Amino acid sequence: MAVYERIWRRYDGSLTPLRWRPAVITKYALAEAFSSRIFAAFYVLCLLPTAIGVFLVYLSHNVSLLQQVGLTKEFMGGLTAVFFQFLFLWQALPAFFVAVIVSPSLIAADISNNALSLYLGRPIDRRDYVLGKMAVLFLLLSPITWMGGLLIFILQAYLEGNGWGFENWRIGTAYFVGHITWIVVISLLTLAISAWVRFKPAARGALFGIIFILAGFAQAINAVTNTSVGDLINLTRAIYNVVMSIFGGPTHGDLPIALNWFTLAATCVLSIWMLHRKLRAHEVVS
Amino acid sequence: MTQPLNHDAPVLELDGLTVKLGRRTILDQLEASFSGRAIGLLGPNGAGKTTLLRTLLGFYPPSAGGAKVFGRELATEGKQIRAEIGYMPESDAYISSITAIHFVRLMAELSGLPSEAALERAHEALFYVGLGEARYRKVGTFSTGMKQMVKLAQALVHGPRLLMLDEPTNGLDPPARKRMIDLVSDIRDRGTSRIILSSHLLGDVETVCDEVLILKRGAIADSCDLEADRRANKSFVEVDLEAPSDEFDRAVGALGCEVASLEPGRLKLVMPADLSTRALWTTADELGVGIRRLDLKRDSLQDIFMRAMEDNHGGV
Repeated sequence: MAVYERIWRRYDGSLTPLRWRPAVITKYALAEAFSSRIFAAFYVLCLLPTAIGVFLVYLSHNVSLLQQVGLTKEFMGGLTAVFFQFLFLWQALPAFFVAVIVSPSLIAADISNNALSLYLGRPIDRRDYVLGKMAVLFLLLSPITWMGGLLIFILQAYLEGNGWGFENWRIGTAYFVGHITWIVVISLLTLAISAWVRFKPAARGALFGIIFILAGFAQAINAVTNTSVGDLINLTRAIYNVVMSIFGGPTHGDLPIALNWFTLAATCVLSIWMLHRKLRAHEVVS
Repeated sequence: MTQPLNHDAPVLELDGLTVKLGRRTILDQLEASFSGRAIGLLGPNGAGKTTLLRTLLGFYPPSAGGAKVFGRELATEGKQIRAEIGYMPESDAYISSITAIHFVRLMAELSGLPSEAALERAHEALFYVGLGEARYRKVGTFSTGMKQMVKLAQALVHGPRLLMLDEPTNGLDPPARKRMIDLVSDIRDRGTSRIILSSHLLGDVETVCDEVLILKRGAIADSCDLEADRRANKSFVEVDLEAPSDEFDRAVGALGCEVASLEPGRLKLVMPADLSTRALWTTADELGVGIRRLDLKRDSLQDIFMRAMEDNHGGV
């Protein structure tokens, strides 16, 4: 039927499965994020650490090329655990900035425009909605974090041979578990803030505040109490210690790693509670 | 387990439905059943019309009782019910940063339409509501009337079996209001979708709806079947006589009229469909009774509504 005929009719075609409906939210949110050329350019830049890592691993195993430029395989200190730890940091940091840029508009815009009633008036519920929005961050952050990290790890294991991958399984595990944990924590936190703070700059400021100002506050508590108890509210310290413990490297402070996991878990629970409180089709005044 | 859709089930069944928000009872033990093509929810502001719609959509959980939509239980089959519904909320609700076609397509996909079908239906829906030329404009730039229309488009894009329209003519100027009512009437007449129309505008409800539920302070004040009344084609006549006359009362009763005496010399008559007012004039003439005033009218929705709104003190 020609669309201009102004006739309305029922839809009798096939329907997509209910479980895939959150993916619709993800698809449209991703399209909106990449509609900004500046963001697209920034995102490509975020892939740079992974690209450099791949290049360095390749270079380290290209003996002839190294000889031509007068270098040895250990030209940058070698592909030790420290190299991979350093690379991890340079993947996690851009990921945080991507989350800070994208997340404030994910939920805040829907709440500002009362669009939640349109989403939730359809056969999806609040959990589907959050999963759809969270998947946006997961899909954006994965290539620049754990996917890139595992790519480098697998490349190194392949080029090195001799069971290097099995001997250094902690590196691969740290990349996967560490980055996934970071993505989950930062996604839930940024979505919760997006639900509560509708003004984008304020939402971004709140995220920086929680991550960096809270870290400074935690340091002050540590200094005053002469303990590491302040680290309980220090998200960056918690994720650092968790990742380093998986790497098998040194951690900061005296808190057991279990308490660092607790900090991350508590952040997730608090974020879910905030989302539960705020994500309603309509405000309920009791 | 999901039950198959019962095509013979009433559109809406309310079974002691009670909704409390905080300590306030918003809907109080609603009991009703509706099967009409278009059901009107009438009531003054705060009567509970919007809360009833939102409860049917699962936004508010019932505190007691329950409801069925097309035979599906609200408590256990919320998603299946919402899959059958197109909802147009009362307040502004849209995504301002995307174009109308993008917005309506997104809503169609969320309702389960595959991407290509969603795009085609989005074009159709926007043309149908008269936004064909504006479909590539961002929704945030639309006027109030256009936003109402795009809300209607997103509600019907997936061809729902039940359209829930909450105050669809809010903020519209008279031509736009007429167009909205014409569209809703057109959808009703096609018969593929049932409609629940919530409004405090009696004219809108009377034009569109077959059945009406009148709410007052969260309770059912009245309900009526307008379509049955129309079919019965009953006429109401108010007659003022110059002097009370029992003979005239008996004579019009013999003509088949139902007679109610409002006060001495003032009658309200329900006339059979085949009787004209000329017969009343003739009868009065034969009996030598003077008629001061004869007012022919239907028992309009306004009468029903005003009666329903009267409390013990006669106030609204």
